Amino acid sequence: MYASVLAATQVGVDPRPVVVEAHGKGTGRGRFSIVGLPDTAVREAAERVRSAVAAAGARLPKNVLVNLAPGDVRKEGPTYDLPIALAAVRSEEPGGGPLVSAGELSLDGSVRGTRNALAAALVAAQAGLPCLLPDDAAPVAALVPRADIRLVGSLAEAITVSREGGGRVPEEVAAPTLASPPDLADVRGQSDARRALEIAAAGGHHLLFIGPPGTGKSLLASCLPGILPSLDPDASLASALVWAAAGEDRADPGIPAFRAPHHSASGAALLGGGSGTPVPGEISRAHLGVLHLDELGEFPPHLLDALRQPLEDGSVTIARRGTTVRFPSRFQLVASTNPCPCGHLGDRRRPCTCGAGQLERYRRRLSGPLIDRIDVRVAVGQPAPAELLGPPGEPSSAVRTRVDDARARQDARGCPNHALGRRRLDALEVDRSASELLHRALDGGRLSGRGFDRVRRVARTIADLAGEDVVAEPHVAEALAFRGDDVG
Amino acid sequence: MVSGGGGAEAVVAQLRAGDPDEELRTVLDGPESELHRRLERLGVGFVTRDGFPRALVEVEEPPAHLFTKGGGFRDMAAVAVVGSRAATAYGLRVARRLGSVLAGAGIAVVSGLARGIDGAAHAGALDAGGVTWAVLGCGIDRWYPKAHADLGRRIATESGCILSEFPPGVRPAPWRFPMRNRVIAGLSTAVVVVEAAATGGALITARLALEQGRTVFAVPGDIDRPTSEGCNRLIADGAVPLTSEADLLEGIGFLRATEPAPAPVAGIGAVSPLGSTPEAVGAALGLAGDELRAQLARWEVAGIIARKGGLVVRL
Repeated sequence: MYASVLAATQVGVDPRPVVVEAHGKGTGRGRFSIVGLPDTAVREAAERVRSAVAAAGARLPKNVLVNLAPGDVRKEGPTYDLPIALAAVRSEEPGGGPLVSAGELSLDGSVRGTRNALAAALVAAQAGLPCLLPDDAAPVAALVPRADIRLVGSLAEAITVSREGGGRVPEEVAAPTLASPPDLADVRGQSDARRALEIAAAGGHHLLFIGPPGTGKSLLASCLPGILPSLDPDASLASALVWAAAGEDRADPGIPAFRAPHHSASGAALLGGGSGTPVPGEISRAHLGVLHLDELGEFPPHLLDALRQPLEDGSVTIARRGTTVRFPSRFQLVASTNPCPCGHLGDRRRPCTCGAGQLERYRRRLSGPLIDRIDVRVAVGQPAPAELLGPPGEPSSAVRTRVDDARARQDARGCPNHALGRRRLDALEVDRSASELLHRALDGGRLSGRGFDRVRRVARTIADLAGEDVVAEPHVAEALAFRGDDVG
Repeated sequence: MVSGGGGAEAVVAQLRAGDPDEELRTVLDGPESELHRRLERLGVGFVTRDGFPRALVEVEEPPAHLFTKGGGFRDMAAVAVVGSRAATAYGLRVARRLGSVLAGAGIAVVSGLARGIDGAAHAGALDAGGVTWAVLGCGIDRWYPKAHADLGRRIATESGCILSEFPPGVRPAPWRFPMRNRVIAGLSTAVVVVEAAATGGALITARLALEQGRTVFAVPGDIDRPTSEGCNRLIADGAVPLTSEADLLEGIGFLRATEPAPAPVAGIGAVSPLGSTPEAVGAALGLAGDELRAQLARWEVAGIIARKGGLVVRL
């Protein structure tokens, strides 16, 4: 007898249905074979399915042949267990309508695992079919709107649901807040850096911290997701899909991701790739979130160069023999760097021991197209002892309120400030004294042409934070303080 | 062209009255037409004490007259920039720069057209399109050193003047240079010695200047370099060390006289010229956060302050 159910996989971030066909024969030597480009984990499903079906009290044909279609897409991982079992059982004892499922079977018949759950829920929602998933996939499945999710705890339950309907519908789960990002209240002093962070969050600007080691640059960077607006359902889903392509679940999909790859990371780890199925890299896991590159000057120059295109396009394309996969990578960059190789240039406490040639090389390494795209640059110094012992800083929640307001103003105008191009900048409403200050800075040689655009973008954001429609002189003056003309 | 004192006859009469030395007498006693011819051919002018700048009249024993070439000699403030002929690149740079700064401030730059510091000072003044006076130790029809003939011609034709006590035809001689230096010091309200060895004409000029009550500045130099020995000794003896261009203009009371003082910037006193922390500036101004940042950025853009090593510094 012949039967089929649907499973799902992901090609890049696109969910794809997989048809699981089973052909059962009552005679033969008791073989269970699986074809259709399975990996070892999928092939091993045969043994788990036999044991789990027996535990569920159901029967299998003596000989089973399972085909996973389309045959040219690799099938990976153990979550094909459940659909394979359901198809095989149906080939012995027909019954039940079409459905989508994903889940790993244990030998006693229980179901678990979340891999491919997101793809299955999306395929099911698109096809208008019910989707059978293990209980632990409930939070992931909740990201998919209008999906008919049925949670099942065991193969026996799954067989019943697949024949007679029913099954548990996921309850409204409160968003877990296990992985909430560090709070700005933990940052003492550093008023310049805090303000830069707020401006970057409000305008979506890339941000550069310049300062000696041990001044809290990384802590500051990790606070950014906590003051960014929460991801809306579409964005949460998009972010979760990228992570799912890497076989991971996001603990808190409503909060922008934060990724901080080390400068020794390989190109594949940073940009995506790997052997076999392409896996998204750090820049894609940071999609719609924050990519923190600490010690920017220590990253190999060719990797920094490779970041240009993702920054420009918001996606990265990974070419494989016969196929290319595109992962989204619209991240906000927070880079930090020492002011010089020894780290103490400009430090009030310790002298810089770098030679002039070293400094020159370091500067050259930091300049270029990547740095050019960073609108907000701020020096981070050693906080004074009084500040360290002082009261805690303003909490992230208060800052986020202002950021949300500023974002709302940009949404109303139709363009986020970080994306303002020269034409829009030239059309910016700037009052007279503000424009005079800008031109004084240009004429005095304290502002380059590119710096001019950056300052105008940042000034627009500062005005948005102040709730002003027209960019005024104090906004430009403060933006000038973040121009960082000694880099780039 | 012969001017002042009633023409060539009077010039000759005055020169004779001035106890001429042997060589000068030879020139004067030569065919009268020869002297006339030289004066006229060279386009030399002649100025007696009546036409001197006030500073030169005030000194003890001023020269009786000066031959001039070029139109830039008039009563105006003047500062001498003198120094070693064997100058270093540093000395030349400073001299040229000082020449420009002084000339740019409307002060005549006086020197001796010698190699080294003198020439650089003149050149600096010409760079700035200002007035410079070269006082020679030989007849005004000669260029000594020859290498500075072009520079001398530029001074005479552009905006300066060549000066000499000595009539045309007088050859340079070592003992005439101190006399020349007396005139350099006399013309100037201050003398800047840029580089000088332990012995040298520049130190004589400095001594003469002190005798005439002029201010003497000396540019400090490395203590192990012979060309700085004279300057450092002068400083040890009480000359004013010149540590910046502004020192000079301020030292001769000229900065205020020529340039209107910049409008006082409210609150700039909170920023020390030696550097202040931004927090300290904020506390002094009663500003913090975005207001403080904006104020510091305004001053920075206006070129009033600079950021150095985590501090802000008043310029």
